[in-house]
Amino acid sequence: MKGGFIVVALATAAIAAAPLVASTYHVLLMLPFMAYAVVLLGLNLLFGYTGLVSFGHALFIGLGAYTGAFLTTHGKIRSLEVILVSAAALGALVAVPVAALCVRYVKIYFGMLTLAFGMVFYTFVLKFYRLTGGDEGTPFLRPSLLGLSLDAMPKIDYLVGPYYYYSLAVLGLAALCMWRIVHSPFGLCLRVVRDNPIKAETLGIGVTRHRFYAFVISAVYAAVGGALLGPPTGNVDPTLAYWTHSGNIVFMTLLGGFTSFFGPVVGAFVFIYLQNWVMSVVPYWRLIFGAMLAVIVIFAPEGLMGLVTRRRPAPAARA
Amino acid sequence: MTRRSPATPDPLRPRELRDNNTSRRQFLKLLSAGTGAAAATRLAGPSAYAQATGPVKVGVLTIRAGVAAPVGAAGLRATEWWTERVNKAGGILGRPVQLVVEEESNPKDTVERYRKLVLQDQVEVVLGGISTGVTLALGPVAEDLATPWLSWDGTTQKGVEETMPNPRWAFKSVDNEVEAIVAGILTPKYFKGIKTVAGIGNDYSYGHDCWESYQAVLKRYIPDVKFVLELFPKLGVTDFTSHIGAIQQSKADLLMCSFWSGDATIIMKQAAAVGLFKTMKGVFTTAGGVHDSLKKEFTPEGLLLGYNTMYFDDPKASPLLKQFVREYKAKYNEYPPYECDHAFFNAESYKVAIEKAAGPGKKWPEKAQVVKALEGLELESLSGKRSWREDHVQMCNFYQGITTHKNAYDFVTISPIEVVSTKQAMKPAGSKLFEWINGWKV
Amino acid sequence: MDQRLEGLATTAVSVLLSGVFHAAVLFLVAAGLQVVFGVQKIFNLACGSFYALGAYVGVSAVGWYVGAGGPPALFIVPLALAGLAAGAVGVVVERGLLRFVYDRDESFQLLMTFAVVLMMEDAIRMTWGTAPRSTAGLYLAYGQVRFLGATTPVYNLVVIAASLAIALAIGWLLTRTAFGRIIRATADNREMAEALGVDMRRVYAKVFTLGTALGTLGGALVIPSTAAMSEMGIELIVEAFAVVVIGGLGSMRGAFVGALAVGILRSIAISVYPELEMLLIYLIVIVVLVVRPRGLFGGAAA
Repeated sequence: MKGGFIVVALATAAIAAAPLVASTYHVLLMLPFMAYAVVLLGLNLLFGYTGLVSFGHALFIGLGAYTGAFLTTHGKIRSLEVILVSAAALGALVAVPVAALCVRYVKIYFGMLTLAFGMVFYTFVLKFYRLTGGDEGTPFLRPSLLGLSLDAMPKIDYLVGPYYYYSLAVLGLAALCMWRIVHSPFGLCLRVVRDNPIKAETLGIGVTRHRFYAFVISAVYAAVGGALLGPPTGNVDPTLAYWTHSGNIVFMTLLGGFTSFFGPVVGAFVFIYLQNWVMSVVPYWRLIFGAMLAVIVIFAPEGLMGLVTRRRPAPAARA
Repeated sequence: MTRRSPATPDPLRPRELRDNNTSRRQFLKLLSAGTGAAAATRLAGPSAYAQATGPVKVGVLTIRAGVAAPVGAAGLRATEWWTERVNKAGGILGRPVQLVVEEESNPKDTVERYRKLVLQDQVEVVLGGISTGVTLALGPVAEDLATPWLSWDGTTQKGVEETMPNPRWAFKSVDNEVEAIVAGILTPKYFKGIKTVAGIGNDYSYGHDCWESYQAVLKRYIPDVKFVLELFPKLGVTDFTSHIGAIQQSKADLLMCSFWSGDATIIMKQAAAVGLFKTMKGVFTTAGGVHDSLKKEFTPEGLLLGYNTMYFDDPKASPLLKQFVREYKAKYNEYPPYECDHAFFNAESYKVAIEKAAGPGKKWPEKAQVVKALEGLELESLSGKRSWREDHVQMCNFYQGITTHKNAYDFVTISPIEVVSTKQAMKPAGSKLFEWINGWKV
Repeated sequence: MDQRLEGLATTAVSVLLSGVFHAAVLFLVAAGLQVVFGVQKIFNLACGSFYALGAYVGVSAVGWYVGAGGPPALFIVPLALAGLAAGAVGVVVERGLLRFVYDRDESFQLLMTFAVVLMMEDAIRMTWGTAPRSTAGLYLAYGQVRFLGATTPVYNLVVIAASLAIALAIGWLLTRTAFGRIIRATADNREMAEALGVDMRRVYAKVFTLGTALGTLGGALVIPSTAAMSEMGIELIVEAFAVVVIGGLGSMRGAFVGALAVGILRSIAISVYPELEMLLIYLIVIVVLVVRPRGLFGGAAA
C-alpha cells in the first residue's frame, strides 16, 4: 500500500511539473484531461463499481458547464468555488429524479433511459435559445480563483498557470473523496450489488437504494467536471450534452480500464492525446477510433490498466 | 444471464479490484512517458516575430462532418486551389505556402485545434471558421493568441457585439443577415401585392436573425405586411412534409426560407410535390449554397434565390472566376458555391497584405504589421471587388435573382441578377442593426 | 360555415397524411432496431447508420439506373433492390464484430454498436463525400393526388404502403414461418431454445442481417423524398429511440404504434404549436418512462 501512495504522489508531482517543462499546447491539453478525469472518476463509480453503464452522463457535464456559464454571464458571479459548488448541487438536484427513474432498470434499459434523458436536456438547451443561446451557447467568462480576479492576465498564462493548478487541486480532492467512498462500507456494498444483486438483497443491502446513491454521486462528479471544461473554451454549447459525447466518455473509461481505480483517469489521458494526434494526421479519425473501440471491446475489455496488470494474454472470447 | 464458463474471467466481476502496486507503477510509467513526450516536443510560444525563411505555414479550419460539411469542403478546395496558384507563381515573397489543415467540429474541440495550429504548428495565420457557435468561441481565443484569424463565415449580431467588440486580430466575415436584408429589399421589387408572409429557417441564430432582419426590412417597404407563420426546424431535419402542410394552411402570399444546405434541396422537392409555389411566392435567401442540387424538375421559375457572395454563372464574371469555375467543375464534378470566394478572398488578402506590409525592402512583416495592412485592403477576388473594412468586417457584393430554367444545366440559375453591395445592405461600423434599418429613407 | 369546415377538413387530412408519412419512415428505422433487440437483446445504435447507408446506396443505384437509360417510372425497383442488397453489410458487421461480444455484458454490446456508428460515419463519408446526395426529381415521377383539398405526392403513399407491407410481412414472418417461431422462442427464452437444438449462431446472424436489411431498405425507399446528408444516421437514432421507448423495446407492434404516435403528434405540434415540435416528443418519452417504463408493448425490464 505504501508503494502505491508513493506512485500516486510521483504521478501528481509529474502533472504539477508539466507547465514548467512541457510545451504550452500540451499543457493546455491537460486541462480537459483533468476535467474529464473528474467526470470519469464519478462515472466509474457507476460503471466499474456498481455495474451500470450510463449513456447519458453528458447531461450532467452539460449541466455543470451551463451552470458556470450562466453564473458568470448572467449572474455576474465569477468565483470558481461558487460555480463548482453550484454545479455539484444542481447536478445532485437533477440526478435525484433521473436516478430514481433509471436505477429501477439495469443493463441495456438503464443505458437507454439515460440516453433518453441526456437527449431531453440537449433538446431543451438547443430549443430555448433565448435563454441558453441555443446552438451558439453561452459564454463562460474567466472565473476568479480563491477570490482573486485574474482578468488582467493573458488567457493562456491564466490557463497554464493558476487555472491549471486549481484544476489539479480539484482533481486531487475529487480523487481523494472517491477513494474514500470506494473503500468505505458503502463502496463494498456497491460491489456486492454489482456482483450479485440477489445476495445483496438477502444481506439487507438495498439494491435500488445503493444504485441511486452511486448515480447521484457520479452525477455530481460529472457536473463538477463539466464546469471545469468551460473556461478553457470560454463558451459552452449544447454539443456538450449530445449522446455521442456520452458515448465518448464511456469509451474513455473502457480504454483506461474500469476495473481499476485510476483506469478511467489513464483512459482520459490516452484518449485526449491520441485523439489530438490522430485528428491532425488523418481526416478519417472516426474510423480509427471506432476500430479502436471495437478492438478494445473484443480483446482488451479491461482496458489499458487491465493489459498492463495482466501477466498473460487475455483468453479469447467464446463466439 | 451470462453464457460463460467459470474459468473465463468476467470483466465485470473481478475477484478483487486491481488496486495493487503494479497498477500504480504502470500508471506512473504511462504518465511520465506522456509528460516526457510533451517535454520533448517543447517549443517556444508564439513569437511576435515571424520566421522569415522556410515555407509560410497557413492554418486552415475546415468542417468535415455534419450538415455544414459541404460548405467546409468548398472552402478548403478553394484554399487549395489558391495555394497551388500562389506556389506556382513563386509563393509569397518567395516563400511557398504550406497549408496545415485541422477540423472544425464543436466549439470546445475547435478551440483546441485552433490553439494547436498557433502554439504547436506555429502557423502565421488561421483561415476558416464557419459555424456560428464555433466562431463565437474562437473570437476571444484568436485575440488572446495574437495571430491573425480570417474567418470564412459564421458571424451574427451577438458575435459582433458581445464577444468581439473591438477585434484586433480577428477578421470577421460579412454580417450573416445581409442576405436576408437584400432579400427584403428585393422582395417588393419583384413580388407585388404581398400582404402575408410565412417564414421557415433553421433553429439557431442564423435562422432567427435572418427572419428578424427580413421582417424588419419588409416592414419598411410594406408597412402593413402580416407575418402569419414562423417555423424553425432543427438543422439536420430531413422531412418537412408537416411543415409544408402548415405553410399551406397559413395561406401566406409568400414564403421566406433561409435554409442553406441539403435541407434547402429537400424542402424545394417536397414543396414541389404538393405544388406549394403554384400559389405562393418563394424567397430563398441562401439556397444558392446548394445551387446545383436545385434541379429544374422540382425548382420552379419565378423564385427569388440568393447565392450569398458568389454566383458561378455570372455573365459578367471575370476571367479568374471563369477559370476557377472551370477547374473546380473538372476536378470535383460540381459547381463551386459561395464559400469558395470567402476562402479565396481570405487567403488572397493575406498574401496581398504581406506584400504590402513588406514594403519595397521585401522584409517579411510581423503579425501586427500584417493586421494593419489588412485593414482597408481591397482586391479583385473571384466574384469582384472585396475588402476588409476598418473594423475587420468583410465588404463585398451579394448576388440574388429570379430563378429561371433557360440555361444549359439541369438545375436552375438566376436571371435577372441583382448585385447589391454591402455598402448598401450591411450596417455600418458601430451602428445597431435594427436602429439602422428603421432609420432608412424608403 | 361550410368553408370553415372544409378548411378544417383539409388541415386534418394534411396533418394526418404528413404525420403518417413521417411515421412510415420512423417505422422502417425502428423495425430493424426492434427485431435485433427482441432476439439478441442488443440495442443497435448503428441502426440509424444502416438507414443512412441504404439512403446513399439508393441514390447511387437510382443514379446508375437512370444513367443506364432505365425508364424513370420503374426506378423504385432498383431502389428497393439496392436497399435490400445493402443489408449484406449486416452480415459483415455481425460476423466480423458483433459475434465476439455475445458472451459479454450487454453494455459491451452497446459499446460495440457505438463503435460501428463511428466507423460507418467515416466509411460513408469516404465513399460518397460530404455533399448532400439526392435522386433529383424522381420523387415527383408518380404525380400527386388530392384528397379533401389536401395534396400529397403519390410517392408518399407508396412509402406508407411499403411500410405497411413490411410491417405485415414481419408479422407474417414471426407468426407463420418456422424461422419466425424460432425468433420468438429465442426472444422469450434463449436457453430453452438452444436446448431444443436451435443453432444460436445462425439465428443471430440471420436476425441481425434482417434487422440491417430493414434499415437499409427503409433508407433507400425514403430517399427520393428527401436527401442523404452527412451524419443523418446519428440524428435519426434519436427519433428512432423515442419511438421504441414509447412503443416498448423489442416489440414490433410497439414500433408500429410508437412510430404512428411520434409521427402524428409531431405533425399536430408543427401545425398547432411549432415551438414544441421535438420537445413534445421528448416530453411524451418522459411521461411514458414515468408512467409505464416498459412502453406500450414492451416486455419485462429489470
